[in-house]
Amino acid sequence: MPDINTLIEVALIIVKVIVVSLILFTLPIPLTWIERKVAGHIQVRLGPFRVGPHGILQPVADMIKLMFKEDIAPDKADKWLFKFAPLFAMVPAFAVYAAIPFGDKITIPIINKEVTLYISDMNVGILYILAVGGISVYGIILGGWASNSKYALLGGIRSSAQMISYEIALTFSCIGVVMTSNSLSLLDIVKLQSGTILGFIPHWNIICQPIGFAIFFIAALAEINRIPFDLPEDEGSLAAGYHVEYSAMKFSFFMLTEYLAMVTASVLTVILFFGGWNAPLFMPEIPIFWFVAKVGFFIYLFMWIRFTLPRYRYDQLMTIGWKILLPLSLLNILLTGLFLL
Amino acid sequence: MEKLFFLIFAVIAIVSAIGVVSLRNPVHSAISLMVCFLQVAALFILLRSPFLAAVQVFIYVGAVVVLFLFAVMVLDLGKERFGGYLHHQRPIALVVVIGFVFVMGFTILHGSLDAPLGNYTEEALVKNTEIMGKLLFTKYVFPFEVVSFLLLIALIGAIVLAMKEKR
Amino acid sequence: MGKLHLNTLTGNRQTFFVAANLSAFFKSPMNWQTTDRMQNMTNILKKIFFIDFIKGLSLTLGYEVSKSVTMRYPDEEKWLPYQRFRGLHTLNRDAQGRELCVACELCAKTCPTKCITVVPMEDDTGIGISDRIAKVYEINLVRCMFCGLCEDACPTTAIRMGRDYELACFSLDCAAADKKRLLAPAHPFPFQEGIQKSPLLGGDKGVGQEFEGGYVVGARLERNKQGISIKPDLTRKKRWW
Ligand code: SF4
Ligand code: SF4
Repeated sequence: MPDINTLIEVALIIVKVIVVSLILFTLPIPLTWIERKVAGHIQVRLGPFRVGPHGILQPVADMIKLMFKEDIAPDKADKWLFKFAPLFAMVPAFAVYAAIPFGDKITIPIINKEVTLYISDMNVGILYILAVGGISVYGIILGGWASNSKYALLGGIRSSAQMISYEIALTFSCIGVVMTSNSLSLLDIVKLQSGTILGFIPHWNIICQPIGFAIFFIAALAEINRIPFDLPEDEGSLAAGYHVEYSAMKFSFFMLTEYLAMVTASVLTVILFFGGWNAPLFMPEIPIFWFVAKVGFFIYLFMWIRFTLPRYRYDQLMTIGWKILLPLSLLNILLTGLFLL
Repeated sequence: MEKLFFLIFAVIAIVSAIGVVSLRNPVHSAISLMVCFLQVAALFILLRSPFLAAVQVFIYVGAVVVLFLFAVMVLDLGKERFGGYLHHQRPIALVVVIGFVFVMGFTILHGSLDAPLGNYTEEALVKNTEIMGKLLFTKYVFPFEVVSFLLLIALIGAIVLAMKEKR
Repeated sequence: MGKLHLNTLTGNRQTFFVAANLSAFFKSPMNWQTTDRMQNMTNILKKIFFIDFIKGLSLTLGYEVSKSVTMRYPDEEKWLPYQRFRGLHTLNRDAQGRELCVACELCAKTCPTKCITVVPMEDDTGIGISDRIAKVYEINLVRCMFCGLCEDACPTTAIRMGRDYELACFSLDCAAADKKRLLAPAHPFPFQEGIQKSPLLGGDKGVGQEFEGGYVVGARLERNKQGISIKPDLTRKKRWW
């Protein structure tokens, strides 16, 4: 019979998992609304306006529509893979959050118990996230292949090539951070970013790793299939790419994955380069607030970029990945190494 | 508890490995290969080596199988295309497999498979990544360099082959 | 030395942009003007600090905070067109309230899409201005292209294009506008000199011809048994630009 403390720990982990996944499940609901509003206002429109005040209930209406829509599978599709592909995409998107810290420890006031704001602090955290995040691509590839449609297949192929190209640059840009902080654990990486340099510059990795940040950000944009790198679902030439044959809930799973990937990319950017939950200069430390604020900014930035930049051509995408980002990231590692020596 | 997990992972790994060779559709084979790799990664975690597990997922699942899928999709290998490549290899393959199974069974039954315990305790293995890094760059630096050199040669070879095809 | 190296890197594509600029930078430094060098330097700096990217972002941010031009039709606003607008036709009356149409069928003859049906009939009870009125007067709105030729052809200025453009409906019945729908109502507007001012926005919308138009006015969407209608509110009006 395990003692009461381990039981509480286990219960706590279960509660944390449930809370995190509930938050993740509901997060795309406001995000779709925000994205459409941002799109609208950037294009001098209003965005959704009819369902609820300022269209705030629009995502709910969309959700209801998606739930009651007919679930169509193409006649010659690979039925099993077609069904499982959205899950292949979605599960890794959730699994990534097992290793992501949202803050250090907080003490719950009434029961006076310390609770860590992460599900687990893996000592290979960043590797785990990159590895599991990489699995998400299977959903796209298999979804594209199983649909048995030309556009979807092209989307899947593009996606696989793109993922492989940019994953390398993404990982290499993270190595710079890992080298400076001497740990693969995200918790340690964030802890090392507290304090200041020379008393007035925040000791964030963006200061020591500007090239790393630029590469990471660009590669992350490509990894999560956002404009300007959204070639797998290029509306202009592929209709909707890999999810062109999907409808109803399966389609919404893909959408969910996409938004979660965006959140993950923002969270990683904040943790790796913007000091995680450390407050900016001379601001009071509030447990989760700064983290959420920074992540929110990056989510907004992703949306902002989406409605600012046009899409790259496919060969441009490949040249950027292999001929610019990869050499630059290697250079970055070299520079970091020299600097550390 | 650990044994139960081991059994689960091992059984799935073996079943999916059989799937790799027996499934007709190359894409399905690639997927079961991926499942197999994932199980192996899980086994690495059971062996207290999260670094290896993460790398396994990262390299094999995240890159190699994706490349397989890419190639399979682009090349459009139909079922019927495979028959031509077998060239009466079946009897030879059968003999080799039977011999292999025999040797495996022999070693397992005689219990000579367990390796001696290393000098790392479970506590020390928390810092698993560092230990690995240190060993790679001190004790095993020569094999490490040889392997990386080999990979480099393969890389250059691939580029040369691709260039030739272009002309 | 640097030249050779970088040239092999760039190949013949424009894409490796930093290096491409660098190679231009190192190429034949002998006959170089300072302006060229400055140009290249600024270009490289631009690439390194993502200047163009930031410019683009600030442009979109400017639009984001600017006021949107969207008209919230039909919930809050609606566009009321100018008088010259060619919307749903009306059949007018004269100052005494008599129908102006004499059923001469000129409009039907001139209509390019042949969508007007006029059937004349004798009548000496004084409904019309002469002893001939239209028994049937129907415009097929699905075929009408609102060119306004019928208006030009009419000798008695009976048919006039109005300003009602909300012609969508749920069944095809409303696609044919009959005489009842087109004819100006006999009384809601006081008779004036000459031709009666017709309710140019259709029967029940309450916007008279004297309203000059070209405004965005307040509006309210109303759903009732008869269907959906949009009630304009002329007191709140503004030019939309
Ligand atoms: S507006 Fe043109 S098309 Fe329409 S009824 Fe008049 S003449 Fe015919
Ligand atoms: S509307 Fe004018 S043109 Fe047409 S039939 Fe009547 S009078 Fe003639």
